[in-house]
Amino acid sequence: MKTKFSGILTLFLAFVVQISFAQQKTIAGTIADENNLPLPGVNVVVSGTNAGAQTDFDGNYSIGAPIGSTITYSFVGYKTIEKTVGGANNISFAMEVDVAAIEEVVIVAYGATSTKPTSNVAVQSVSSQTIETRPNASLIQTLQGQASGLNITTGSGQPGANSEINLRGVGSINGNTEPLFIMDGIPIDQDNFRSLNPSEISSVSILKDAGATAIYGNRGANGVVIITTKRGKYNSEFKVNYTSITSISNLQANDYNLMNSTEQLQLERTDGTGRGAGLGDAEIAAIARYANTDWVNVFFRQSLTQNHTLNFSNGGKNVNTFTSLGYFEQKGILVQSGLQRFNFRSNVSGKSKDERFNYGTSLSLNFSKNNEPNAIGGGAVNRNFVLGAYQSLPYIAPEEYVPGEGGSIPPQFSLTPLLLLDRLATYERTENEIKMLANINFSYKLSDYVTANTSLGADFTEEQRLRTEGPDSFNSVFFAGVGEDLPGTQDQQMTRTIGLNVVNSLIYANTFNDLHTLDAGIYTEYFKAHLRTFGFRAQGLDPRTFFPGDGGGFVDDNGDNDFYIDLANANINNAGLFSYFANANYDYDKKYGFGATIRRDASYRFSSTNRWGTFYSVSGRWNIDKESFMATSPFSLLKLRASYGTTGNQDIVGSTGQFAPFGGANLTLDTFITGSGYGNQNSIVTSQIGNSNLKWETITQGNIGLDWEVFNSRFSGSLDFYNKETSDVFQFQPTAAYTGTTGLFVNSGELINKGVDLTLRYDVLKSDKGLNLKVNFVGNYNKSERFGANDSTIEEGGKLFQYYSLDYAGVNPATGNILFVDINGNLTENPDPDTDRKFTDKNRFPDYQGSFGFDVDYKGFFVTTQFNYIIGVDRFDNDYAGFIDPDNIGNFRHSRDILRAWTPDNRVTDIPSLDATNLDLAGTRFLQSADYLRLRFVNFGYSFSREQLDAFKLNSVKIFVNAENLVTLSGWRGYDAESTIANGSRNYPTPRSVSFGLEIGL
Amino acid sequence: MKNIKKLFVCILVSVTFSCNDAIDIDQPGLLLSENAFGSVSDLNDGLIGVYGGFDNTQEILLNAIFTDEITLGLVNGGQNRNSYGLILTSASPTPFTMWTKYYIALANINRLIKGASFLTPESTEVDQYNSILGQAYALRAYAHFQLQTYFSTDYTDDSTTGVIALNFVPEIGQEVARNTNGEVFDFINSDLVLANSLLSDDTSDPTFINKDFVTALRARMALYREDYTLASTLASSLLTNYPLANSSVFPNIWTDDSNGEIIFKLERVENDPYSGQGLAGGGTAGSLFAFGNSTLSGSPFMEMDRNLYNSFDPADVRLSTYIDPSSLIDTDYQNSIDYKNTDVLVIRKYPGSGGINLLNDLKIFRSSEMLFIMAEAEAANNQLGNVATLIKQLRDSRFTTPQPLPTYADQTAAFADILDERRKELALEGHRWVDIKRIGSKAGKTLEREPLDCAEVGVCTMSNTDKRFTMPIPLAELDVNSLLTQNPGY
Repeated sequence: MKTKFSGILTLFLAFVVQISFAQQKTIAGTIADENNLPLPGVNVVVSGTNAGAQTDFDGNYSIGAPIGSTITYSFVGYKTIEKTVGGANNISFAMEVDVAAIEEVVIVAYGATSTKPTSNVAVQSVSSQTIETRPNASLIQTLQGQASGLNITTGSGQPGANSEINLRGVGSINGNTEPLFIMDGIPIDQDNFRSLNPSEISSVSILKDAGATAIYGNRGANGVVIITTKRGKYNSEFKVNYTSITSISNLQANDYNLMNSTEQLQLERTDGTGRGAGLGDAEIAAIARYANTDWVNVFFRQSLTQNHTLNFSNGGKNVNTFTSLGYFEQKGILVQSGLQRFNFRSNVSGKSKDERFNYGTSLSLNFSKNNEPNAIGGGAVNRNFVLGAYQSLPYIAPEEYVPGEGGSIPPQFSLTPLLLLDRLATYERTENEIKMLANINFSYKLSDYVTANTSLGADFTEEQRLRTEGPDSFNSVFFAGVGEDLPGTQDQQMTRTIGLNVVNSLIYANTFNDLHTLDAGIYTEYFKAHLRTFGFRAQGLDPRTFFPGDGGGFVDDNGDNDFYIDLANANINNAGLFSYFANANYDYDKKYGFGATIRRDASYRFSSTNRWGTFYSVSGRWNIDKESFMATSPFSLLKLRASYGTTGNQDIVGSTGQFAPFGGANLTLDTFITGSGYGNQNSIVTSQIGNSNLKWETITQGNIGLDWEVFNSRFSGSLDFYNKETSDVFQFQPTAAYTGTTGLFVNSGELINKGVDLTLRYDVLKSDKGLNLKVNFVGNYNKSERFGANDSTIEEGGKLFQYYSLDYAGVNPATGNILFVDINGNLTENPDPDTDRKFTDKNRFPDYQGSFGFDVDYKGFFVTTQFNYIIGVDRFDNDYAGFIDPDNIGNFRHSRDILRAWTPDNRVTDIPSLDATNLDLAGTRFLQSADYLRLRFVNFGYSFSREQLDAFKLNSVKIFVNAENLVTLSGWRGYDAESTIANGSRNYPTPRSVSFGLEIGL
Repeated sequence: MKNIKKLFVCILVSVTFSCNDAIDIDQPGLLLSENAFGSVSDLNDGLIGVYGGFDNTQEILLNAIFTDEITLGLVNGGQNRNSYGLILTSASPTPFTMWTKYYIALANINRLIKGASFLTPESTEVDQYNSILGQAYALRAYAHFQLQTYFSTDYTDDSTTGVIALNFVPEIGQEVARNTNGEVFDFINSDLVLANSLLSDDTSDPTFINKDFVTALRARMALYREDYTLASTLASSLLTNYPLANSSVFPNIWTDDSNGEIIFKLERVENDPYSGQGLAGGGTAGSLFAFGNSTLSGSPFMEMDRNLYNSFDPADVRLSTYIDPSSLIDTDYQNSIDYKNTDVLVIRKYPGSGGINLLNDLKIFRSSEMLFIMAEAEAANNQLGNVATLIKQLRDSRFTTPQPLPTYADQTAAFADILDERRKELALEGHRWVDIKRIGSKAGKTLEREPLDCAEVGVCTMSNTDKRFTMPIPLAELDVNSLLTQNPGY
């Protein structure tokens, strides 16, 4: 390929040169990029003439020019350089990246792009550079802190775990609250990024205001995130890029001050409960010598992650390709958790010779194997490994577990770790997933101004889940029936979903008199999704022939009992949406812009009378910097934006992941179900009282924003104020039980989110070959107000999901009982647990959140940091509650804090008496601020220069070391301040990771 | 392939026309309500569905935990702590479950009755049709009676506020006020009269509603309303037809191997809607007390209150039936260094049946209760000797040897002995809380918890006239029905 193309280009160059050869001096040279790599395709033009040339694949050019003339060198994405022809015959230099220019291209709806000055809407982009070096299995975790208003919270350390994503607050109460994710034109499952390779991503655009999202009317209510994967470039050289990242992850630290064996036994002796009861010092010392186990080290581990990505890109005149192979393997820090993934991507673009016909395909094939222990976060001592890690008694030794003898472990809480070691040995749960994303799009220029486009996309996911509980396991034996000699179960479940999306459009674009630019389009969008599941539970496994996933050990049903009857299940669901819409954008001289969108949407979820919704938006801008009175100002960009509009939400019940399109499919209908009833006879029963009035939830959003770049673009930023009102909110409306149901989904009430987004970027130091330092900040303030809940435990106009609880006031020095402040403001030990509750104005969502950081580079060395901060999050620390619960003495581990408990000799303390009579009323006692400041990411590395690499025939080599979650400052005492769980415990915390990376370009 | 073709057709026409294929979707596998009751056979399936809504495990738990029948057990991980601490508010789960369970059941019954009214049975189906309706009316009466039992302050006062009597299904948003006790009891009585006229004379199967169920319910209701003459007459007829089981048969009642003295019970079998839901207070009666099975190694999280245990004579067959032999009995428990671990009273009243641990039929009416009804009527009439004879009759059937005839100094003592004997005989069957509410004052008694047991929550007793002997109307219901009034004190 290379030779052939070089030949063609050389001929072309020679032709140009030949025309002007006789008259002029020949200037030759080599143009490099910012990394000192040869830059092909640079336009080299002698100013004021038609004479021009392009650099070849090796960056070389040659052009004839008179002495004293000016040669301009230009290339997309780089600053245009002018050089005057003097005595030298060689002009060689490195082009400089035009940061402003690169950032200017903003990808907006349906494949359209806009530039920063001409965009009317609130949109923020994240480039591949910030994604590539991160070790996270999920792209979403990497996006945390990258865009203002985007609040990403990961509640689990499970590799590839789903994160909670909210843009500008939580926009719905029961419906979906996460943004729509579009990858290469395909709407994708926002909860499943574990199968996708973040290294394939080229850019991410976050569409925030109604002006940007209204065009995604039916699913754009919570914002839209547009992900574009890497593609090849036309007329580019064959490139190979290899990236390898190896990470080591560990559990973050806690501040619970937990007891060792001796202390735990002494506590039990004092309390007269458990093994320590009645023991002497010598006996306690003997047990402590025998075992002092920190079960955290048994159920958590240091884990290794490997991530390899190999990319090829190539481009000819009419076709270009990008191919990527990825392998990722991560062991979770919790035992039995892990993710292994293979990725393949092929993106091809092509065009006809006349460039009127363009097409592009994106194909992504992914296979992942996920080991995900379940029951995490629960209170099951026989199932939750995290519970075992945190709460197991230190004086028990792991050696006490005898493999194969799980069934004979006495079922006592104090033996929790042994039950869990047995589960570890006998339980398996794996999910194998095939995920395929495919898109093909065509466009044809009907005329110079009109283009017809079609885009077909599919998101296919097939998950096979295997879950086995071995026949010898404690859980099988313990729950076996009388005479059930071969217990144990194997579940296999196949879930297959496909979502098909077709968008047709006709786009008009024209500029009149160089002043008026009009872009307009009409569109239709068709979405259809299908769910098929089936599975079985085999009951009864013969240990001699049992192997997880294999049926050899299945026990057949017999005439004596029904223990070994196998259970089968199957499910079919279909879902669909249809929309037609139009938009138009008008620009006057890049000074004023106006945009409008109108959209009609239908969802299969609503009854035929309420099926259609109409959504619209208008937006405008004023580029103040273009006004004549600004001619001398230091502003290169000063733009005022405003938008107002509506978007719809039809995802009523907030089903997640693969099931998102299918949840709440029949809520408008009154239905009965058939099945086993009284005495195991066949029965029919009412299953649902329908609400035939269900309709679209509408979000109306107003946004005013200012974008600026000043002082040679060294200081830039955006400031946005928004007000988002959700009306006809989907709520689970309680109903009087005599209607036959205790509640149903209705459209009622209102939810308001108002707030501010701020993005700042400042180039503190900037020099050609020396030190560069940039600082950046993204921040969001959001406040929610909820109205019309029709529930006395929810405050009218109060924060969404605020806690309504008894107000804890401390420990009564007189009695050692807990004190509360009652509804009248008086201290009491005996509050009414119902009527003395108060609204706290606290919830688990932040008031302020964002990040800041700096980038430094100096002669190839670079450092990037990102500090995330969260303010205004309050959660219940129920892990701590367990560590100081006197009822747990004898069964579980304690914090040394409990030694401070109230006694007649120690009256002023924060820990109530162990015999306090009102310990069951906790109220806000364990409600803690989970605000934090975290060094979310730090990266240090070195890029080798061209000279250093020449000898090795390499284009680029970069080595780096980075860390995630290295330091966290927080009052939160648990293992992870970050969590999506307001009132939980024993969850899987996110790890701290250190990674080593290598990036090689050939 | 068909879909793909459709898709392409769709693409072609979609520019101007909607793709109805994407938005008019009928999900498979739905039975719409208008098609539910098309035949008498459908009605029968509907009746089976209605029966499925009846379950008294919540009553068993409520009566045990808010009184002195059970205590927090060896492996209690917080289960029932708040209830055991006698915390009961309108936001508590117990009243919510009680109220919603029966009102949802009532909605299902009224829908069934309405569905039946649109059907004209064939002549061969008339008996079945009548039987279905008769059972439905009787269940409607029972549901209303259970609601009265838990949400009415005073069963004997017809003018006080009762629950909501419903012979229709209110629309969503429709508000309906509470009736007076008199109105609700009249409603129940008229349903029972109707049921009796429709039911057949066959009373052989105690797992389905028959005329004896109707009589038993009338007897219990008459007792609660202190219509002693009626109560005694009805109870006496049942006691004749259902003689008490003797001490050798008695244990078999609880393993479901015998229907001795059982007038009505809700059947529970493997693979029914309740059998799969094991853990911690869901589904089966035995799982109210233990995670795995009814032995020491079955993880008992609730145990029998030591005070109740102590009230049994060691030779009483009820003690050996209700307490598992694997229990740890610490004779010197009051001086134990670790009482919780050395004295473990494992409940075996619902050990399981048919090989399924902890799954048993739920006994609703037994003839021993009928005997107590007669005894209470005699006590109310101050016929203390007759009370003693009846109590002895019961005890004789619970021991292998005849028991002495008790003597009572006064009416209070007779009521006290009835209350104590009911506590033992009907333990964990859903009576204790109602009994203290009804006759606690007459007997001069209230909760009698073992102090070592209740020390764990620091709450040992409450007065027999405490507001908590009436359930609060659930907050969630008050929020959506402005006509609903709260019970006093909440």
